[in-house]
Amino acid sequence: MERKNKIRIIALFALVTLLLSLAACAQPATEEPEIEQPSEEQAEPAEPSEEEEEVELRIAVGARFDDLSPLRGGGHSAFWLSMWWASPMYYDSDGQLHPYVFNEWEANDDFTVWTFKIDPKAVFSDGSPITAGDVKATWDLSAVPTTKHQRVGLFFTGVEGYDAVINSEAMQMSGIAAVDDNTIEVTLTAPDPVFYKRMATNLIPPVKASQAVGPDGKEVFEWWRPENGVVVSGPFMPVSMDLDKSEAVFVKNPNFWMGEPKIDKVTLIAVEDAQTAITLFQSGELDAMNEIFTPTLVEEMGEEFVSGPMIPRGHQFWLDGSKEPTNDINVRKALIMSVDPDMVFEAAFPNGPGQSVTQLLVAVEGVDPEYVWYVPDAGAAQDALAASSYENAENLPKLYFVGISQASHELAAQYIAEVWRQTLGIEEVEMKAAFDEYSGPDQDRVQIFRDDAGARFPDPVVYLMGTIHSSSGPAQRKMGGYNNPEVDRLLEEAATKGADDPDRIALAQQAHELFLEDYMFVPYYFQNMPRYAMPWVTNWSKNSDWQVVEPWNVVIEPH
Amino acid sequence: MGRYLIGRFIKWVPSAVIVLFLVYALAFYGAGDPIKLIFLRAPGDVVWSPEQIEALREEAGLDRPFLIQFGDYFWHLLQGNLGNSIISNRPVIDIISAAAPISIQIGLAATAIMAIIGIPLGVLAGLYQNSWLDNVTVGFALFVWAIPVYVAGPLLLVLLVLVLKIMQVPYGWDGLFSTKAIIPVVVLALAPLALVIRQTRVAVIDVISEDYIRTAYAKGIPQYVVVYRHILRPVLTPVITTLGLIMITMINGAILVETVFGIPGLGYLTVNSIIEVDYPVILAITLIGTFLVMASNLLVDLVYPILDPRAAKAEVEEVG
Repeated sequence: MERKNKIRIIALFALVTLLLSLAACAQPATEEPEIEQPSEEQAEPAEPSEEEEEVELRIAVGARFDDLSPLRGGGHSAFWLSMWWASPMYYDSDGQLHPYVFNEWEANDDFTVWTFKIDPKAVFSDGSPITAGDVKATWDLSAVPTTKHQRVGLFFTGVEGYDAVINSEAMQMSGIAAVDDNTIEVTLTAPDPVFYKRMATNLIPPVKASQAVGPDGKEVFEWWRPENGVVVSGPFMPVSMDLDKSEAVFVKNPNFWMGEPKIDKVTLIAVEDAQTAITLFQSGELDAMNEIFTPTLVEEMGEEFVSGPMIPRGHQFWLDGSKEPTNDINVRKALIMSVDPDMVFEAAFPNGPGQSVTQLLVAVEGVDPEYVWYVPDAGAAQDALAASSYENAENLPKLYFVGISQASHELAAQYIAEVWRQTLGIEEVEMKAAFDEYSGPDQDRVQIFRDDAGARFPDPVVYLMGTIHSSSGPAQRKMGGYNNPEVDRLLEEAATKGADDPDRIALAQQAHELFLEDYMFVPYYFQNMPRYAMPWVTNWSKNSDWQVVEPWNVVIEPH
Repeated sequence: MGRYLIGRFIKWVPSAVIVLFLVYALAFYGAGDPIKLIFLRAPGDVVWSPEQIEALREEAGLDRPFLIQFGDYFWHLLQGNLGNSIISNRPVIDIISAAAPISIQIGLAATAIMAIIGIPLGVLAGLYQNSWLDNVTVGFALFVWAIPVYVAGPLLLVLLVLVLKIMQVPYGWDGLFSTKAIIPVVVLALAPLALVIRQTRVAVIDVISEDYIRTAYAKGIPQYVVVYRHILRPVLTPVITTLGLIMITMINGAILVETVFGIPGLGYLTVNSIIEVDYPVILAITLIGTFLVMASNLLVDLVYPILDPRAAKAEVEEVG
């Protein structure tokens, strides 16, 4: 009897489990993702014929997105702006400048007034022309604080009236004028021979003023959504956006003037977890991603996946000269000289990509490959610490790292901390991804900030002005207000020299070497611009503005 | 029953207000400036000025004193307005109403799996204590308990997608009855499943040694009737309480599962809003969290009388 009941109970349980499994495995009523049609104002997108298979580029964005405005100047989704917005001009992966919305540009004799001509063929996806009024309105809107553009200062600092707009005293920059429908004139407060190069970015793409700018001069809420009838200027135009799921679908822009795109459809999805992204790539469900860091990426995805040209950008562990103990140059010297840059790079990226750091400048004219900043020397590092006001490691306050946000950064930082322990006897080190992960008082004690710095186009003066000049973000916020008047003077003088003037390079080199003698960073790695795309994605390259170059030429080979 | 429900709701309101106040204060004083973080968290060549930050703070109303900000928020809340996200400017109600149903579905499904699999396994293990069935069940429970979600998820992905090639990567959310939901729900249910199995087993072992169970067997009542009528009821009372608590955790806190499988639920939203110090979203999630705790307790309270009539009596006395 008991045995019979036992069998009944087991059978009942098995039945329930079976039913549950069947229910769970049932094929769902699959629905094709709904693609909303463009508004009536827009031209119909070119549809592939029934016989042709739709060619789709599936892109992963490394973080969820609920804001796809092209005027935020950053964020993971901004890596894909060239897919749907045309930039004023663009750089290719070799650093060559190409016309795009602007097809001509020139400066007056002292480089204080720049004139840009709009290509008469440049139109939005509804066929309407891109006008100088659109360009002015876009640039003004970018500078309005409520637009939350993260990098507008890189492009418009020095334009007359920029300060008034960024300080909320005006809504328009007085130095930008639409001369006629096709001509825009920019007046600067000081000569800038490379101002035109700054405009070659997708972070300030001309948008349709009547859609983006509200009556109050501020950005219209979600004007960039297809539901709101957005018209775009890039090779693809959005047809659906599900911001709650972080998904967006784009199709060919039939009015794109640079050539018909070779892909029919682009899909953006957010994939935050690196291992999930790798699984998606390996199962063939993903074609490209903006960035992905794991120490085993090369082993898992192959060398081609991470291959790409070096760009003018380096990741360093910046030392804050306003905090104890890194306010003492001998402590900084000790921390730096104890570390072998090759070993730091090896710890983080055993198989690349990128390069170890030998100096601050990379991938720009004027880099001296023979220049030796320092030779790692444990004895010299110990001597420097002994010569410091702290004399030995026991007297040093705890060292705090910030910006240790990925596995590779963690490996590099841990290697450095271990070298410091063995060489200098430093025991107390803490690492966090972000400032706000530290308690309030500790936030004010952070001395080491891992971050990248460089330029969006290959120019040594722009690189250094944006990194070590006292007005730059890294100097102010990562090096604690670094200010070497001689460095500033040399750079300011270099900035007035023409792009082809040899003095420009020479002055930059002098400033560079002076800066290195101040020992302000522990070297980490020079970055390349990895493909982060599968081998079947061809004609695929990215520039130092982090954008896909000529996305209309990208091809998905059969695979 | 109506009076009972209203009574429970009235009791919930003051605790929700207190929790909201505390969370707002913690975010305001402890977490930093959300506007500054927009720029501070951006890598590389980001540029900002104090004037730009100040203009944005003024626009978002964050330049006002704490009590005025909270009072303003609360006043709008009374009118059913949860405000807009500071970061994306989207209405919080839209953000929450997209994420919450997904998390609730996943949480309920995982709870159902735990109950349907965990309780019978626990009962069997308890009934046949120290047998091979008990050993295998307890061993299985310990095994799944020991695997963290962030290990189980990727491992299952690699196994099912890359090694066995029996499915595509279950990434994203197409509804609970999509194949994409199977692995996330199973992964979410795995670790708490062990808790349910073990708790049920222990409760069964306690109950089967009671005199009334021996009496029932002595009267010749079949075992499945004894289990159903005399063992399950007392066993289920503590297990249901545990399930209620686990369900809340799973609805609110399936952060890793949501990240690994790209599910746009409350877990991710919670973490992200805390990282970005997005007050209105944090407060809305808190509100939902406190409501879920109340609703879950209410559900458990409603189930108790069915399982144990003595609880119904006590409830009547309380309301009366």
